Amino acid sequence: MKTLVTGALLTLAANFPAVADVNLDELVQQAERAAYYAGEDGRSQARMMIVDGQGRKQMRQFTILRKDVEDNGDQKMLVFFDRPTDVKDTVFRVEKHALLDQDDDRWLYLPALDLVKRISAGDKRTSFVGSHFFYEDVSGRAIAEDSFSLQQETDTQYVLRAEPKKPDTVEFAYYDVSIDKATSLPVLINFYKASGEHYRQVEAVQIETIQGYPTVVRSKVTDLASGGYTLMEFRGAEYDLGLPDDLFSERSLRTPPRQWLN
Amino acid sequence: MKVVALILVASLLGWSVYAQETQSTGSNDEWQMDEWGDWEEQEQQSVLPVTGFFDVAVGQRFSSDPAISGNKTLRDLRVQVQWEKLFDASSLHFTSDLYYDGVKDNVEIQVRELAWQGRLSALDSWGDNLDVKVGQQVLTWGTGDYLFLNDLFPKDWQSFFSGRDDEYLKAPSLSAKVSGYFDWGNVDVVVTPRFAPDNYINGEVFSFFNPMAQSNVAPEFVVSDDNRPEGAEVALRYYRSVDTTDIALYGYRGYHKSPNATDEFGRPRFTRLNVYGASAISPFGSGLAKVEYAFHDSMDDSDGSNPLVPNSQSRFLVGYEHELVANLTGSVQWYLEHNHDHSSLLNASPWPQYESEQNRHVVTTQLMYRALRQTLTLNWFNFYSPTDSDGYMRFRATYKPVDEWSVSGGLNWFYGDESHTFFNQFEDASNAYMAFRYYY
Repeated sequence: MKTLVTGALLTLAANFPAVADVNLDELVQQAERAAYYAGEDGRSQARMMIVDGQGRKQMRQFTILRKDVEDNGDQKMLVFFDRPTDVKDTVFRVEKHALLDQDDDRWLYLPALDLVKRISAGDKRTSFVGSHFFYEDVSGRAIAEDSFSLQQETDTQYVLRAEPKKPDTVEFAYYDVSIDKATSLPVLINFYKASGEHYRQVEAVQIETIQGYPTVVRSKVTDLASGGYTLMEFRGAEYDLGLPDDLFSERSLRTPPRQWLN
Repeated sequence: MKVVALILVASLLGWSVYAQETQSTGSNDEWQMDEWGDWEEQEQQSVLPVTGFFDVAVGQRFSSDPAISGNKTLRDLRVQVQWEKLFDASSLHFTSDLYYDGVKDNVEIQVRELAWQGRLSALDSWGDNLDVKVGQQVLTWGTGDYLFLNDLFPKDWQSFFSGRDDEYLKAPSLSAKVSGYFDWGNVDVVVTPRFAPDNYINGEVFSFFNPMAQSNVAPEFVVSDDNRPEGAEVALRYYRSVDTTDIALYGYRGYHKSPNATDEFGRPRFTRLNVYGASAISPFGSGLAKVEYAFHDSMDDSDGSNPLVPNSQSRFLVGYEHELVANLTGSVQWYLEHNHDHSSLLNASPWPQYESEQNRHVVTTQLMYRALRQTLTLNWFNFYSPTDSDGYMRFRATYKPVDEWSVSGGLNWFYGDESHTFFNQFEDASNAYMAFRYYY
């Protein structure tokens, strides 16, 4: 479930003039696939430690199921929360739509009320369950949202600069993403304000190869302004489980499909 | 309101005594996330753990109620215990509250969930499509926010008015639910063998308008056994998604959830009710649009001429929700209760001046703001009825900077022109509250 975190970073644009002999378009798509679309489906346990600017800590523990409708396209996702106590058994369901003009469909199951609540589309650059990760870091920022240019190429990495096509919809002016040549994974993303202030950083801290898919198992996002940060770690990631389509439905919110969760 | 919120926030921030020494940089040690132990331990715990919270809540009336002595509206000392046991293909869930209610000076136990949940795969292959949940449980469906058209599961209005957490608006019932999932749609059938009424306003903590007395009364009445049905309730729902729209059809056979009828001696009683309805919710523009309808067929007064029994009603709801700016979501609902056979009602009523309008309109508006990485939630909700010229405003702020505790405070404010209207009869119930919760 490399998927989750690092990916945010990527984004690419379709109509890029090729710089040197690097096909940027292909590069970004490949990075998006590596970060968010490994295998046909996947499952992982995850936990986050959220540390605010004053050093106060919060934890989240959850299990994610994901299934791709198509690579670089739509996806189905379920997030089952285990901890902390007040969100235990809460389930979040997303039908991610890759088209820019179609919002994701989202539902939240609140066990204390036995309520399945449809959630309206929201700003994707707001906190994911209270962490420093944004919703978009987890679900993936569509590569068509940004224009990419090659800044630098080293022996091991490409460094791309991404500029949003709709600057008024995001809080950054641009970001630089380093893509690892060996794995195609984005491993570092630095976000900048128009003033040039570097205020946010997402990094892949540890990468493991699981079933042949390089997977970010530890990642960290830092809010450089407040000093707050969130660590995210994946455990027990598995790919190509053969998750059935009908798993991604209201039934799984009310009756968690335990045979697929452990 | 803003001022109140700011003061509240300021005082809450002052509470943050949890600051920890230094800020680390994600060193290797930190990845152990020691506070939670290792993962394997978590997995074992997930089979056996008892979790829950302690909660202290205090609420007070703004002005005294002539019908009730004392201005306390909320004095809870509460512990909630949750436990679950997982089997191969099913699970057992238990959630119970034990609390001292200082307003009623009672110790109470409320078992919110004691239920077995599983798939019926064992029966036969068709059982793969069926889930069952049997026992004490909380049930919810429908699309309205705080407005219920097709959700006839029991509500606890006393808790709602006193500022207890939203979870307590829904009361548990002893029910069996069978859910079927098929290509042509999903079906829920809920049978509650013994009628489970709302925890309605009966004068225990909040008074209500009585047309005979022409003023508010607080009789703390209990419905006598012969006026309280013991029959079953059956609720049905069919639902499916069509493209990105969620549609549903509903049915209910049971009783009015509050004792809105009276017998020939003037004593409160429950009467028969059947409900048929439908709803749809769909992305629209940049938000979510919803529509719901329900026909409440008051079976014991089908022509509306019996003043002792509520008339049949049609209820309509149209709503729209949309994120106004990042972290601020706004929603608006328009709701109509249409009383059928209204002229028969007025003709037969001993106090037509106090009967509800033929069409009672209610508009609700909600603003929900999440700040400080969602550790602070401000929720403002207002009901306003242009036909009754009255309303009910709710505000709640919750601050939860760490996993272990949260603190919240809020207001319930009833307002209006006339003493008998739906919301304004509760004018003297207006209150403010604070609560502190510690999770274990």
